[in-house]
This record gives sequence, structure tokens and C-alpha cells, in this order.
Amino acid sequence: MSSPVRPGAVRAAALTRQPAFWVVATLLAAGAVRISQITGRFLDVYPVATVTAILLFALLAVPFWLFVSELDFLEREPPSLRVLAFAWGGLVATTVSIPGSTALENLIAKLGSPGLAANWGSALAGPTVEEIAKTLGVVAIVLIARAQVNSVLDGVVYGALVGLGFQIVEDVVFAIGAVAMAGQGDQVQPVVTTFLVRGFLAGIWSHTLFGALAGAGIGYLVVKLDRTRGHRFAMAGLALIGAWASHVLWNSPLFRDGLGDGALALLAVLVFKGLPPLLLILFLVRRAHDQEAAYYVAKLATLRDPELITAAELRVLGSGSRRAAARRHAAAHVGRRGRTAVRRLQRAQARLAVELSRASASTSAPCAEVREHRAALVELGHPEAVEGTRSWRHTASTVGTTAVAIAVLWVALSALGGG
Amino acid sequence: MGRVTRSQGTDLPGTIGLPLALVLVLILAGLAFGLPRLDRAVPAERPVAAGEPYEVGAGVTIVPPPRATLDLTGTRPGQEQGSALFRLGPVQYAIAVQPFDGDLTAAAVRLRQRITGRSGYQVTGTQLAVSTASGLAGIQGGYTAGDRGGRYAVFVAHGFTIEVTVTGADLDLGRTLPAIDASIRTLRFEGRR
Repeated sequence: MSSPVRPGAVRAAALTRQPAFWVVATLLAAGAVRISQITGRFLDVYPVATVTAILLFALLAVPFWLFVSELDFLEREPPSLRVLAFAWGGLVATTVSIPGSTALENLIAKLGSPGLAANWGSALAGPTVEEIAKTLGVVAIVLIARAQVNSVLDGVVYGALVGLGFQIVEDVVFAIGAVAMAGQGDQVQPVVTTFLVRGFLAGIWSHTLFGALAGAGIGYLVVKLDRTRGHRFAMAGLALIGAWASHVLWNSPLFRDGLGDGALALLAVLVFKGLPPLLLILFLVRRAHDQEAAYYVAKLATLRDPELITAAELRVLGSGSRRAAARRHAAAHVGRRGRTAVRRLQRAQARLAVELSRASASTSAPCAEVREHRAALVELGHPEAVEGTRSWRHTASTVGTTAVAIAVLWVALSALGGG
Repeated sequence: MGRVTRSQGTDLPGTIGLPLALVLVLILAGLAFGLPRLDRAVPAERPVAAGEPYEVGAGVTIVPPPRATLDLTGTRPGQEQGSALFRLGPVQYAIAVQPFDGDLTAAAVRLRQRITGRSGYQVTGTQLAVSTASGLAGIQGGYTAGDRGGRYAVFVAHGFTIEVTVTGADLDLGRTLPAIDASIRTLRFEGRR
């Protein structure tokens, strides 16, 4: 059976020494110029709306960024590459997609019919150009820092970040388009409506999700070296087609008519068009995460040193929800300092696991780091970073948050669906 | 887990990063420049039947001026909204239908804001009332953008706004406006089918 992780080099070569880096940097600079020109025009005509849109959608990026960071907890990707992936999505993929999608939609009208373009133009043209442009961002990361892509999950992380960058810039462009369309000057109301529709209701079925799937394919292509090249390319192609198909389904006119108006109809569209790909992609991402986690936890299990990691901590470290539960338990037991100390211990254990996977690497420094954080925990009177029993307060908080989320969703659906 | 072999270490796309990066640039160039070039290479104009009503969208029809052609890049018919772009030589004649819950004054303000929101565009003269043969009441006016002039008209009917914009050089506009005015008078709301 093949390993889910292909350990990278102890120290990756400096990005600037890679010729491909300068090609990617040039593309990023060209994208930055183009997007700056567009933003400058927006600021010129609709300054308040543009600033509001940038702030609102930047806020939307925060939960996505945190979710991706938590996915990436065990073998963290370098911040420079994460920013590069985000920038590719926001600067390069968008710059390419704006003229490319418009041209492809026009071609659908010319070679098919205007009716076909009106109904299916955005469903076919957008996903075709955008998914290719975004996936090339993950390819770019592989070209300049191949040692950093050593599991399918790494592909997921970079793909999701490329998609997130794309999503934020596209949403801002759409919001200002709505302001211009409203024809009431520099108003923020169309921005807020766009935020509710594209950010809140449709935010989950987004470029971040599609990008994660396509990125998983690139991760598989470069990691699963025990498979034939044909098989790996086929899987990468399949992942890209899956991302494209999910995007097409979401943009398609299916269910647009026939279900009427109102909150229930809008909810039905979200469920029928969005839920199947959402569940499929989340299942694949979870599987990639669990495989990577099991690999690193198995590395730590070979240490058999409870000062470095206990049996209960091994169980906790492989799961995002258990890691969070262990931090909450420490906070409830010994306060905020306990939460911080547990987080630091978990991070140090994760770094140790990564070093253990690299046969040539020395583990003395990460071992010392873990022991230091263990000592801090012992001093706080909370020696082991494990989950506690589920408190009534946490259960009540979860139920309350879920109820509020459902209520807000229903109000938004009612307001936007006219029901 | 096995060791990473030298052949695996140099497998795609490792040491040939620069050529692959250039391939990546070519693909992006194909999307950003190749597709628009292909789009421009395929003719966009189609003849329209003379004297026959053309459905713009959402149940709105118009009879295009004689010798007008339909530009497919600006034409998107639909059940809830739609647009049609006709060309009379260098003059563009665009009609757009969208859901709208305001009155005619609000629709006119909205259209003027959109026109003046474009760099270099200014509304000129006063607004005049206009009506169609089917009884739709609207407002029309003019605008200018450098050496190009334009005419706009807006109607509100049954929860929709119908916006008409005509753009071209002053000489061309003067020659074609009578036929376009006649065409605007054929605007009709027939309801959604």
C-alpha cells in the first residue's frame, strides 16, 4: 500500500533560486497591475461601495482561512507559499478569467445561439476558464516548491487557498457590478445584498471548495509516485473535471424555474445543486486529512516516550475537533494560559512528527521544544493535552450557535427569496 | 514507507520546472488572449427578419430598423430578463429588459446614473416624454461621450424596466435615428410565455 505522505526535503531550496519562480512572480506582478487598474476605476466612481465590499469580503475570507489552517495543522505549509497561492487566485486567475470567460460565452452565443448563451453561458464558460486558471496555481506551487507538496492534503490546502483568493476578488467585482447596475450612485446596499447572496448563502459552494478538489488531484499527481504516470494524470484530470462539473451544476439554470419563488424554493436550489458536490468534496478532503494525520501520528507512536506524546495525546493530535476540545479542556481547567500552552505543545508535536518523517533530519531540536512545552503544562498543573468530558456549557453553546445560524439563514432566504 | 528513489525524485514536474512554467504561461495566454482573439475571429453579426418583431426577453418584443443586424455578443434572451444588441453600420442600438419595482422617474434616474457613471459620459439636454404604438409611456434623452453621441429611452411596464441606448458618431446617429425612433415605437410588452 502506498504512503499517504511523501516527505519533503529537510530544507527546500530558496524560491528565488528557482527559474520558474521568476516566471510565476512575473505573472503575479502582471495580475496585480490589472487588478489594481480595475480597483482604481471602482474607487474612482464608487469609493464608499468599493471600500465596503473589500472590507466585507476580506472578513469573509477569515473563517475560510482559519478552516484551511486547521486542516493544515500537522504539516504546515510555509506562509509565503500560502500567500502565493491566495495571490494567484486573486490576481492571476481572475485577470485571465475576466476576458477568457466573456470570450467563451460569446463563442457559445455565436456557435450555438444567444438563448443557449443566456441560459448556459455562465454555467459553461465561467467554470471552464476559471477552474483551469485556478488549478494552474497549484501547478505553479509544485513547480517552484515541489518539496512542500508531499501529500494529497497539501494539494487540497493550496487549491483551497487559490480558490479563496479568486472568490474574494470575484465577489468584490460582482458587488461593484451590482452597485453600477442599481444606478443609484455610490450606495452600499447592493454590496450588502451581494455579500448576503454570494458570501453568506452561496459562500460554501464556492471557489474554495472547487479549488480544493482540483488541488487534491495535483497533490495526487505529484505524491503517489508508486502509481503509473498515466494513472496519476488520469486522477488529476478526474479531480479537475469534478471541480468543473460541481461549478457547472452550481451555475446551471437547473431548478431555476419550476420551484417558484420564496425561501423554500431558494433552499431547495441550495440543497439540490449545492449539497451533493459539497458532501462529496468534504468527504474526500476529510479522507485526505485523516490519511495524513494517521501517517504522522504513527510516526510519533514509534517514540514510546510519554514526555513527548502520551497514548491519549496521539488520539487527540490526529483530529481537528479533538485538538480543539483539548484546548478548551485546558482553558476550563487552568485558564487561558493552559489553552495557549496546549496549542504550543500540539504545534511542537506536529513539527516533531514532520521531522521524524524525514529520515535524514535531526529530531533533537523538535524533541527539546516538545519537552519545553510539556514542562510549561506540568507547571500549570495540566500535564496532558487531552480532551475533557463534554461540558454542558459547550453543548449549550453548540446548540445555541446552530439555532442562531438556522434562524439567520432562514431570514436571509426569506428576504432574498421574497417569501 | 519506502525510500524516495532518484527517478522518483526527478519525476514530473521536478527538474524541468522552467519549461513547464513556460507551458503554464502559454495556457494562461491562451485563456486570456487566445479565446478573445478566437471570439473576434468568429463573426458576431446575424441578419434579422425585416419587419418582424424580435423577442428581447421577458415577453418584450421590438421590430428592428431596416438593414439592422443582430450582434450576438450583446444579445441574451431570457424569461426573467433579456438584452438585444442591434447594429446599423457603426451605430449600436441596445435594448435591455430587467425586473424593476420602481416607477418611471426612478428608472430614468437609474439609467442616467449608469450612463454618467462611465468615464467621459455626460447627459445632455432635457428629457422628453415618449410613447410606443402599444401604449408604453417612457422618457428619453441624450448623452455625449467625446466625439460620440447617444440617445437613451426608458419604459416601465408590469414590473420590468426596458432600457434603450443608442450610441454612435454624430453623423451616423443623425442618419440612423429616424429609423431607430420608429423602431422604439414598436416596443411591446406581450407578457411572459
